[in-house]
Amino acid sequence: MKEPSSRNKGNEGAQVQPGLYGYTQEGNGDRSQIHLRVEADGHGLLLINANRAIHLNPTATLMAWLFLEGVPQKAAINALRKHFHVSGRTAKNDYQTVRDQIEQLIHPDGVCPVHDLELDLLPPFSEIPSAPYRMDLALTYRCNANCSHCYNSRSRDYPEISTDQWKTVIDKLWLTGVPHICFTGGESTLRNDLPDLIAHAKSTGQISGLLTNGIRLSDRNYMMSLVRAGLDHVQITIESHIPTVHDQMVGAPGAWEKTVQGIRNCLESEVFVMTNTTLLASNISPIGETIDFLAELGVPTVGCNALIYSGKGRSVGTGIQEHELGPILETVRQHTTANGQRLIWYTPTQYCHFDPVQMQLGVKGCSAARYNMCIEPNGDVIPCQSFYQTVGNILQDPWDEIWNHDLSLWLREREYVPEECQRCAMLNECGGGCPLTLMHQPDQIPINQVQLPDSTS
Amino acid sequence: MKRLIFPVLLIVGILLVAIALPVRAQTYYFSVDESYVQVFWESDGSIRIEYIMVFTNDLSASPMEFIDIGMPNYEYDLSSIYGWINDQPIGHVEHSEYVSPGVEFGLQSNAIPPGGTGEFKASIGRVEGVVFDDYDDPNYASGKFAPHWYDKQNVFGRTDLTVVFHLPPGVEPEEPKWHSAPSGFPDEPETGFDSEGRIIYAWRNPSANAYTQYVFGASFPRKYVTTDAIREPVPEGEFFEPSRPSDFSGAIFGFLCVGGIILAFIGFIALAVHSDRSRKLAYLPPKLSIEGHGIKRGLTAIEAAILMETPLDRVLTMILFSTIKKNAAQVVSEDPLKIERITPQPVGLRTYEVDFLKAMIDEQPRKRRGALQDLMVSMVKSVQKKMKGFSLKETKNYYQAIMKKAWQQVEEAETPEVRSKLYDEGLEWTMLDRDFDDRTRRVFRTGPVYVPVWWGRYSPSSTPVTTTTRAPSTTPSAPRPSISRPTLPGAEFAASMVNGVQNAASNMVSNVVGFTNGVTKTTNPPPPPSRSRGGWSSGAGGSGCACACACACAGCACACAGGGR
Repeated sequence: MKEPSSRNKGNEGAQVQPGLYGYTQEGNGDRSQIHLRVEADGHGLLLINANRAIHLNPTATLMAWLFLEGVPQKAAINALRKHFHVSGRTAKNDYQTVRDQIEQLIHPDGVCPVHDLELDLLPPFSEIPSAPYRMDLALTYRCNANCSHCYNSRSRDYPEISTDQWKTVIDKLWLTGVPHICFTGGESTLRNDLPDLIAHAKSTGQISGLLTNGIRLSDRNYMMSLVRAGLDHVQITIESHIPTVHDQMVGAPGAWEKTVQGIRNCLESEVFVMTNTTLLASNISPIGETIDFLAELGVPTVGCNALIYSGKGRSVGTGIQEHELGPILETVRQHTTANGQRLIWYTPTQYCHFDPVQMQLGVKGCSAARYNMCIEPNGDVIPCQSFYQTVGNILQDPWDEIWNHDLSLWLREREYVPEECQRCAMLNECGGGCPLTLMHQPDQIPINQVQLPDSTS
Repeated sequence: MKRLIFPVLLIVGILLVAIALPVRAQTYYFSVDESYVQVFWESDGSIRIEYIMVFTNDLSASPMEFIDIGMPNYEYDLSSIYGWINDQPIGHVEHSEYVSPGVEFGLQSNAIPPGGTGEFKASIGRVEGVVFDDYDDPNYASGKFAPHWYDKQNVFGRTDLTVVFHLPPGVEPEEPKWHSAPSGFPDEPETGFDSEGRIIYAWRNPSANAYTQYVFGASFPRKYVTTDAIREPVPEGEFFEPSRPSDFSGAIFGFLCVGGIILAFIGFIALAVHSDRSRKLAYLPPKLSIEGHGIKRGLTAIEAAILMETPLDRVLTMILFSTIKKNAAQVVSEDPLKIERITPQPVGLRTYEVDFLKAMIDEQPRKRRGALQDLMVSMVKSVQKKMKGFSLKETKNYYQAIMKKAWQQVEEAETPEVRSKLYDEGLEWTMLDRDFDDRTRRVFRTGPVYVPVWWGRYSPSSTPVTTTTRAPSTTPSAPRPSISRPTLPGAEFAASMVNGVQNAASNMVSNVVGFTNGVTKTTNPPPPPSRSRGGWSSGAGGSGCACACACACAGCACACAGGGR
């Protein structure tokens, strides 16, 4: 059943060593990608298809590893008894329980870990990982569109590292324990080495995704080259079902036709496809029709986000205030529900203005320098792809320095949270909203001026 | 400098001599078929103890009318101690006349007859002075516990004895150490987690007896216990003698009675510390967890009261006030309480408010109590259902925070008028406070109170003074209509409010205790001790898991992915 990644460490003696282990499960036309990150203290993180994170204590970590490595049950129980003072009966019973739970969790349409398996619940954002779950690789800041609300704050001719250097980055990320990579930009399809880099990530055992405007994917041959290289998922930005609205928002006449063709091409392949739409004053009026249009195309998962207050987003003036998001998202949800689509909402907000949990959109808080980070075209690391302050260079600096940079800690420990929010009962989940919004739209609520720690650039 | 008894290994401890003497100078002969004891080591250095004991009285013996439980010292809080016999609350819980330090439980009409069997449960909510320095490791603290034992001549048969330690919150799996197990118990306890995530050690011997002292111990990093609460261990030559309050009557006799046992116990400790103590790390059961959302928002204050196990008489009063505030009912007689509907009925009444009015107005008095009990049972079940999938702990904290916020606003109000207004607006939430009565008195100790408009519908007999005040005007030249609101001196209003809250329920159901027992019999909040390792889960608490559904998870990679370009 299991197909361990080529970089998995051996299981001789059933000793699990700290590191990242990758597995693929296939069956009945479905495929699941599982990663087990084993920490130095024995705790573990089980990531299923890069979107479900299960925390394991040392006993569960060893059991998960034994199971995923395909160690025969008898040998697994012997290994457990060798590690722990435990009776054979207890080891066998517990091992079978964990094995059953993991088998259910890793199924592509697996059970709800809360309601069906009744796993223990940890407070949101309470676990500090040793590295992000996902790293965005901004291969280039060049772009074939010119969105009026683009969050990019760098020049389009920003220096870029070479293909080999990117491969080194990918290798280093694997060793750091990052199982999921998203290629982004700018527009990363403008880098001709993208298929090569996808293939390299595939060879390490990482899940790879592509965030794109979809224009180059209108070339079916090109798109298929990415799929053949091992691309797992793609997210295509489409702003409206109305061509003129989309083209105007992305600043590229004729872009809509190509983007939609790109979506069609992807949907015809085996890659997982979703779209993303930024909800702005310029496209929300007919948002329900846009969702319906995507359903007609066959898009199974629709993502939405609010304006990101970075780059041109700071001055575009079409952003929706958080307290106005509720009715818009309600419309979106009504349409996705009616169409049988999955809706993913991305933007961290202040829950006093817009509470995604009460709208059943999940807990959304800032995950920068916690679950995800971004590497710029020159190898610099920034907390997220919209937060343009460097915390180090992935090729030059030790990971610990990057991960524990003052700015990383400032974000992870939520030191930016306004004083007014400190006594709020929802602070754990909300986290004060998006730090970029706090810094660039401080008048939304009366908050203190956000102070940033020194950055290395 | 005195040499300490435990120069190398030492830990220890708590001398918890729990002695149960279910006897009073008659013919006593019984077996203890089962004894299940849980000790919760708390962060503040205290312990909470829960006993479940099954007694079988011999056919030839006298009825067992009292059960005495020995305490480890005199630093126990009598008000925190409750008992049950066959799940019926024990009303007589006092300092023991025969065991010192100890507590007696009078079984009264539920005495265990000759040949009968009874399940006795006790909850000792708080005992201090029980955690000691661990001389084996300056970074550790430790404690020992010996459950009850009896005079050999009074007991027969085997005892299935289980002792469960719940270590202090926050202790990590690799940190604690158990001490050597008593003879007859497995060398290593079973380990695991309770529902609060605390590490547990459980020792069990199904063939133990009821006359042997069994001493259990554990050590854990002292950082998990308030430093001031950790005591020094007993020096050599100074056998442990519990400190006694000067006003503790009957203590001398009781202490002398058990003195021999205490000395024997000390001797046991002295020997025990020279034996090996397990240093092996525990096997902890596998644990899989997921980050999720835990707070169930949107409960009404009355539903939150159910969740927070507010006494049911208080909940009844809250519903009464709620219907009156909503202008759905008014009181026509305060004792016994009679209310009438106000027509037309306001829209938007909650189901429990409608049911309450039906019970209070439509039912015959003799059926009213049953109807109100049904209402309470229904509410508990409703809240349980709403809590499914959400975290009990986080949700309780959330509503606790709302309650505190409501008080804070009242207490920080700068004028009597604002204070009165905020008090009225937040009354449903402040009533969740166990300290509601005293706090109300403190808040309104001075100054006038602007009596809420609805108060007259609850307490028609109150005679507030009507005063005239002038609304503040921004334009002095333009007179504005004056408003009249009744006022009372603050202390008088506070007394009136507190009395109202205290008496309303008893005026409704006359026997509040009986009413509550009728409800808890079905829903069981608060429950007597259970064998569950999870300790005391509440009746309305739900499953203790926290996520509305999997899509509510926070720790997934879809959090704030790229978009917006």
